[in-house]
Amino acid sequence: MNGIIYVIFIVSAMTITPSVFEYYTPSTMVEAVNLLEKYGDEAKLLAGGQSLIPLMKMRFASISHVIDISRIEEMDYIKEDSNRLSIGALTTVDELGSSVTIKNRYMIIKEAADQIADPLVRNMGTVGGNISHGDPANDLPAVMLSLDATFMVQGKNGGKEIKAEDFFVDSLITALEPNEILYEIRVPKMVKRQGGAYIKHKKSAGDFSVAAVASNIIVDGDGKIIKVGVALTSVGPTPIKSTRAEGILAGKKLTEELAAEAARSITEESDPVSDFYGSIDYKKKVLRFIIKESLVAAYKRAKEAQ
Amino acid sequence: MITGQKFVEGKGTYVDDINLPGMLYMAIVRSPYSRAKIASLKGGLNSSDYEGRMASVGEGGSGEINIYSEPVFAQGYTSYLGQPVAAVFGEDRYKAEDLLNSVDVEYEPLKPVMEIDAALKADPIHPGTKNNILIDKWVGKEFKDTSSPIVLEDSFYNRRVATNPMEPRGVVATYDGNRLTMWASSQSSQSIKEGLVEAMNLSPDSVRVIQADTGGGFGLKGGLHPEYVIAAHAAMKYKRPVKWIETRSEHLSSSNPGRGARADIKIFAGKNGIINGVTGEVYVDAGAYGGFGEFAPRFIAYQLTGPYAIPNGYVRAIATLTNKVPQGPYRGAGRPEASYFIERMVDLLADELKMDPADVRIANMSSEPFKSPLGLEIGAAKPFFQDALKEFEYGKRFTSDTAGLGFFVLVPGIGPGEGARIKIEKGRVKVWLGGDTAGQGHQEFVRTLIREELGIASDLVELQLGDTDAVKRGVGAWGSRSAITAGAAVIAASGKIKDMVIKDFGDYSPENALSGSYDIDHFEEMKGTLNSFGANIAVADVSPLGAIRVKDCWSYYDVGRVLSKESVWGQIMGGIVQGIGQVVSEEIAYSDEGELLTGSIADSGVLSADQVPNFVVKVAENRSDLPHGVKGLGEAPTIGVPSALVRSIEKVTGKRIRDTPVRPEDIAEDF
Repeated sequence: MNGIIYVIFIVSAMTITPSVFEYYTPSTMVEAVNLLEKYGDEAKLLAGGQSLIPLMKMRFASISHVIDISRIEEMDYIKEDSNRLSIGALTTVDELGSSVTIKNRYMIIKEAADQIADPLVRNMGTVGGNISHGDPANDLPAVMLSLDATFMVQGKNGGKEIKAEDFFVDSLITALEPNEILYEIRVPKMVKRQGGAYIKHKKSAGDFSVAAVASNIIVDGDGKIIKVGVALTSVGPTPIKSTRAEGILAGKKLTEELAAEAARSITEESDPVSDFYGSIDYKKKVLRFIIKESLVAAYKRAKEAQ
Repeated sequence: MITGQKFVEGKGTYVDDINLPGMLYMAIVRSPYSRAKIASLKGGLNSSDYEGRMASVGEGGSGEINIYSEPVFAQGYTSYLGQPVAAVFGEDRYKAEDLLNSVDVEYEPLKPVMEIDAALKADPIHPGTKNNILIDKWVGKEFKDTSSPIVLEDSFYNRRVATNPMEPRGVVATYDGNRLTMWASSQSSQSIKEGLVEAMNLSPDSVRVIQADTGGGFGLKGGLHPEYVIAAHAAMKYKRPVKWIETRSEHLSSSNPGRGARADIKIFAGKNGIINGVTGEVYVDAGAYGGFGEFAPRFIAYQLTGPYAIPNGYVRAIATLTNKVPQGPYRGAGRPEASYFIERMVDLLADELKMDPADVRIANMSSEPFKSPLGLEIGAAKPFFQDALKEFEYGKRFTSDTAGLGFFVLVPGIGPGEGARIKIEKGRVKVWLGGDTAGQGHQEFVRTLIREELGIASDLVELQLGDTDAVKRGVGAWGSRSAITAGAAVIAASGKIKDMVIKDFGDYSPENALSGSYDIDHFEEMKGTLNSFGANIAVADVSPLGAIRVKDCWSYYDVGRVLSKESVWGQIMGGIVQGIGQVVSEEIAYSDEGELLTGSIADSGVLSADQVPNFVVKVAENRSDLPHGVKGLGEAPTIGVPSALVRSIEKVTGKRIRDTPVRPEDIAEDF
């Protein structure tokens, strides 16, 4: 488990400069892993910096060794073969949203990528960072949960695979060890009659969501649901993969009523808190609305996908 | 060249661009609690070194220090989250912020008093005082109304809003052994000087305040702040220049927000819609100390009849102390609150009588000037309002089914006038004003007036930034007053120059003026009122989840003669965005335990570009009696838009709206 190194001050930090840190720029993944091995808990990987730099500037996080992996070219790619879609962890969110492969066949990923923060953040922020930061308000984790993605991880003693559903442990805590690096995200290749949708409800453009939902559906030739993955953003300490969706929806054709019933049931799996984005009741209302919307959209796309 | 082109090109010189040799950078240790006892405090500059309090200066300021005045450093206990406890000084910003950890403060958190109602019941937040009531006065005259068939009551709350200028606060202070010089991001270098003189007990001659290019003020930058005094004190103590630049987080926690006013209003009316009287209570959440909060409730109460000829009025004006950062003026500064409260009641009356809101308004308007029982003087409202309905194509383009209509009177802050200095030298004209432009484009009206009065081409005229050494006396840029008061001062100073040119040359010509050297510093005394009317129409779209989108927002304001179309339109559009922001999302909020919930600029609810509607800006140019014919403008949109927009939201959702901002969950559909 990722040792938590954030020092959360009681005071809402009011600084704008980070404290002193050492800065490294490895050019290969092996170099980066070696540096992580050396500095362990005192080190943090910097990719696009869209989460880490604000934390450091506000001095929420005090990190003595920053390992900037953004120059590692071998981790920046989007590839699709006969089995899977492979996304290098250093692919930027903008590259993800602009990719023709993604646009043509993985609309759910594009919808999420295009709605992350603002263009400045998307130009810098990376897929790997968005996932491995472990922030339940980040958008790509729910998408990857709904798609049954696998995360490829490299450590000093070799590599391993972690299933998306095993990756998110708690708020800002993932299954990554301090000396490990997430280098690739693998998504099962889209099959015929598969469709997905990501619906994000936010107060204003560029903001985090009040709640968001990723739905991924595969149907048979009759329009009956064969497989369904639903995952939720911003409504619990981690992104939440629904365990009920399959039981409610498998083997059935989606109707408005069924989608509403599923939305009600899946909403019960959420664990939102009352905050400035809304009360618990309001967030559940939002969920009931957008889960239904996303199921209907994903189902429609699945039926239309050849 | 467009107004502000240099800023767009990155060529402005803001206070953070000013760097002096040997300059120290200041960072502030702030209270992490809304209310706490300081059990121990070691390190930094703190109240053991400097015990002074702040003078109340600027808009609504009394110029005085009293028992409710904010101490520069917290003294023994903290009374709001973000209150300065100590200051540290480093060779650069990084080192200064590193030093924050060198200050050792032990707090004993206390239960904070966070809301007006709680403040009325709670023990006093300040030891040695009797209660949490800062001000409690009645405005108007008591009346009995037993005959009006319609009596309506309701309660409203405009929650606090951050001023959020693009450039936060900042100062550079330096001391040469004799004089303190401070550069500031400012709406009023004159008020900041007055505040420093008063708070630090300095002689006026020994203080100079100079304005740097200023990226927005909206009320915040017209007064004195603890950080300014600390920086000045440190510059004198350490004999080195000191810079302080506010972070956005500091801005949201520790700078004075506006609004924060609640009202319980009762109106008495006939079945014909005519309102016979208004009574009620206006409560202002003053925050932890006095200042603007001492002025605001009476100012709101005084305007509570709005543009209507309501014959009876009796309103209690109360300000309470809470464990929040002290309230300050924010664009409108009492005017939007008063307008919101009365407009909400008028709409309620329209619903009660099933009348069109426009008709209820007309029923309460006079075709003659009117002095309200609360003291507000207005001109003939009816002709203007009827013009407004025509301009809006009310009844055709917009109907009361979905559109919200707002009508208001703008009360500009005219007294005691304003200063201006005109200096002609080497064929060029330099102008200083007593109030500091913070991005409104004062240069444009100054150039127009110099062209008209002295016949001198605009490219020879440069408006200078505020400087207390350059202008003897001045007030400030707030209260929709600059074109009125500074404009009048420019005209009067121009007249004096003309006389001098005639004396020198026998007659006046621009060439004669430009060939000589003239320097006139003039304070134009002004008093009385110059109130003007404005109207808005807004139409909102509300999603099932309660997301508000403003489809249309039209304005029709009587701005008097337009001196610069670009500036006027810019003011109106910018103000409309702020008016919408107050309704749909802007807020500074705390939990009951006193934690700040709105610590980021996104949480504070500033609108993003996708939330800005199509504007239709129309103006009535009904000249005032002033030589240049102008009226007030700057605050009109933040007064007029909120009530109009809220009414539309109410019509579209079918839910009565009382408070701003309107929270999505309060208007979401039930399902």
